[in-house]
Amino acid sequence: MTAALDELEQAPVRHGLLRYAATKAGGALLSIAMVIVATFFLFRLLPGDPVRALAQGRNMTPEQLDLERARLGLDKSVPEQFLQFVKQTLQFDLGVSYEYKRPVLDLIGERIGSTLLLTGTALVLAVSLGLWQGARAGWKPGSRFDKVSTAISLVLWSVPTFWLGLLLLMVFAAGIGPIPGIFPTRGSSSVDKPDGFAGVLDVGQHMVLPCLTLVAVVYAQYLLVMRSSVIDEVGQDYITTARAKGLRDDDVRRKHAVPNALLPTVTLVFMRIGFVVGGAVTVEAIFSWPGLGQLFYEAIRVPDFTLMQGTFLLITVSVIVMNTLADVVYHVLDPRVRSA
Amino acid sequence: MRKLLAVLAALCLLAVIPGTASAAEPGQKKVVKIGVTQSVDSMNPFLAVRLVTGSIQRMIYGFLTVPDSKTLQPSPDLAESWTTSPDGLTWTFKIREAKWSDGQPITAEDAAWTFNKMITDDGAKTGNGPAVENFQSVTANGQELTIKLKAPQASMLDNPVPIMPKHVWEKVKDIGKYDAEVYPTVGSGPYVAVEHKKDQFVRLEANPDYWRGRPKIDELQLIFYDNPAASIVGLKKGDIDLIGRLNPPDFESLKGDDNIVQWNTQGRRATYLQINHGATTSDNKPIGDGHPALKDPKVRTALHHAIDKQKLVDEVQGGLAKPADGSIIPPLYKDYFWEASGDRKIGFDIAKANKILDDAGYKKGPDGIRTMPDGSRKLQFRFSIHTDTPIEDKLSEYLTGWLKEIGVALTTKRLDSSKFSEETGTTALFDIAISGWSVNPDPEEVLATHLCSRRPTASGEGGGTESFYCDPTYESLYQQQQKELDRGKRADIIKKMEERLYTDAPVIALYYPNDLEGYRKDRIASITPIPEDKGLLYGGSGYWPFYTVETVSKDGAATESGGMSTGLIAGVAAAAAVVLIGGFFVLRRRQGAADERE
Repeated sequence: MTAALDELEQAPVRHGLLRYAATKAGGALLSIAMVIVATFFLFRLLPGDPVRALAQGRNMTPEQLDLERARLGLDKSVPEQFLQFVKQTLQFDLGVSYEYKRPVLDLIGERIGSTLLLTGTALVLAVSLGLWQGARAGWKPGSRFDKVSTAISLVLWSVPTFWLGLLLLMVFAAGIGPIPGIFPTRGSSSVDKPDGFAGVLDVGQHMVLPCLTLVAVVYAQYLLVMRSSVIDEVGQDYITTARAKGLRDDDVRRKHAVPNALLPTVTLVFMRIGFVVGGAVTVEAIFSWPGLGQLFYEAIRVPDFTLMQGTFLLITVSVIVMNTLADVVYHVLDPRVRSA
Repeated sequence: MRKLLAVLAALCLLAVIPGTASAAEPGQKKVVKIGVTQSVDSMNPFLAVRLVTGSIQRMIYGFLTVPDSKTLQPSPDLAESWTTSPDGLTWTFKIREAKWSDGQPITAEDAAWTFNKMITDDGAKTGNGPAVENFQSVTANGQELTIKLKAPQASMLDNPVPIMPKHVWEKVKDIGKYDAEVYPTVGSGPYVAVEHKKDQFVRLEANPDYWRGRPKIDELQLIFYDNPAASIVGLKKGDIDLIGRLNPPDFESLKGDDNIVQWNTQGRRATYLQINHGATTSDNKPIGDGHPALKDPKVRTALHHAIDKQKLVDEVQGGLAKPADGSIIPPLYKDYFWEASGDRKIGFDIAKANKILDDAGYKKGPDGIRTMPDGSRKLQFRFSIHTDTPIEDKLSEYLTGWLKEIGVALTTKRLDSSKFSEETGTTALFDIAISGWSVNPDPEEVLATHLCSRRPTASGEGGGTESFYCDPTYESLYQQQQKELDRGKRADIIKKMEERLYTDAPVIALYYPNDLEGYRKDRIASITPIPEDKGLLYGGSGYWPFYTVETVSKDGAATESGGMSTGLIAGVAAAAAVVLIGGFFVLRRRQGAADERE
């Protein structure tokens, strides 16, 4: 009897979640479909003749240009090209890069690892630092810690990434005055990278400056969201109750306020994971980090339409997927969203 | 959270330490590191188009000929000697008896296979297609290679195709899709590629069996910088030993560093103005929206008189260029360089420019701007430049000022590079545009950009014109030089072509930018430029500088991975450790105090 009651009570919830997830997934699929269409036309609107751009100033005979056009499928009509594009995309075929003459998927595969490494590490650091600092700042708003950390994060948040990256490069890679240049100027590893653990350290050393730049510019958002949601919690009755029970202030913060305040940041973290795949175009370009961002940057410089299309698609789709996941996770974590 | 911080701190520490670990292998290897700001597009020479890849191919593969290090004239490379039939249609090359880097003998069969592959396989045409366009047939007999041409071609000895080992490459199924990432590569040049990490670096090792003898260094590295500013930092710090193709501001920033040699010499480029003098398609139909006044040679000559080239060199190029009083082949190529002198020289003379326009009936209006003789249009021209190129912006300011003095209004139009090449090379939607070309030791390519056949077709498909020029005199001179196999006589014809471009002014040469490079003298003991007297290091023709380069002997400077910074890194790591451990204890103490308060 009790079991049946339990089921009765839980079933709608489970169904609710499933239905919610399904709705969200449907929405995501629709968005992805729209992105696929938009991607195709967006990159067709860009000025310039890709074939001529590919020739890079070399002279090509009209026959050669035609040959090149045919090879890239540009001799077909736009609707034909579109159908071809959709068909290929649905088969996870992102086409062949104009410039590298290799499948876009391969090129992405080669670089996604180093992007995930860099932006993933930066994300973990930024989230940890932002949440920790935000929780402390929000716990005692107006305190010196709050003022200083909010100010620092806001300054870093508003600094142009390119400028900050170059500054770090000039100071810590080249060295200025008494500060020695200790970090490498480029890349994700040395040319003569040692094997084994030393090799891991080598990569770590290369990662410091780009990672620092990324963390500096993104952690403010975590700090601010966390800070304001902790401030919200501080006024709540359960905090007063917890304090009244005589719990240590630190414990009230860590065990009561922070877990509740974490909820709004979940969406933010998940959304950022989507961007992680896209990497940080600017940071990768400054530090010559061989990742997806750099690949995209190169593709724009050429311009290499298939490569641009492919990387752009990958980035947008991962943002959509992560957003959807964020919604669903939030739904699971926060009962208030469920009832609403 | 505190634990997490401690872990992070430890990770940071580890990240700082590795210099100590990786410096463990000092080695006696002589390594030279070149910084490049372009990444390799493909290690497959049939596909690669980028300049950096061309330089690498020159290091790892032999060509039929190579520019002589002193004269830049074609000299023997894989082809030991050659003969031409009297009609200039049959060329016979004797291939050198040498070995591929895997020990196999090099024969004419390898060269024949390479060329025939390009003739028959569309995929193999991507990189150097035009080079075999004029080939009728290519055959091999032992060490003898015979190439039959469709028409005479004086530039035949400047063939840009690397000769590939047949025994390795004939196994490749689809050349058009082959990335050739197999190491060590099998080649016949002074170096062998041993590693390529995409968008990061290429490692080349000395080829001990190279026919000219092993290079003096053990390893050459080309290290890619996405960010030019970082490459300058890299050179100053010693991460790289040499960097080429610098712009004037970056070059100036190397001043005052005792360890760096600033290499400033004549370059292989010309910067010029391209004038829409009535653009037409290859079937002679007008195209584009160029200003009608520019069809008048007198207007073009007046414009030419209104440009102070010396001032442009001083102010725009920071003095690091040579004013151009000739055409589009820079003085680096002594044999072909032509310069106007005496009466023919068009000097900076605003008064004369005004007089030419007055005499031709272009009257100044009340606003100081001239109109067409029939009063239909004002002399207002657009000047197309590239976005984000500060030098061109500056150049535009000066031109605008001078042209105002002769009653011509100039407005600047900034375009991104692909739009720019479309408007100035295909659709002709411009009046005046900035242009420039890098010239090879054989100037045929750059001369051909002014041929009638290079104009776009009616449908906008193009053959790569530089000026939409189509002039019978120029055309016939081009045909003559093609057939002229005597170098001296051919040079004379080429000079006439330059003169024709100078006087007819479809293009106006402004200056020849210097070749600007920098290298570390504490690392590079000697390097021979090409040409040897006063030439280029990186980006020159052929492998000469990097075949002759020698490093500073070991006892003085430490090479390899940052020997200099090992101590520093250890010091900084120790300092960081102290700070972190200190911080940890402070936190602990505060924690303790909090506990006590309870």
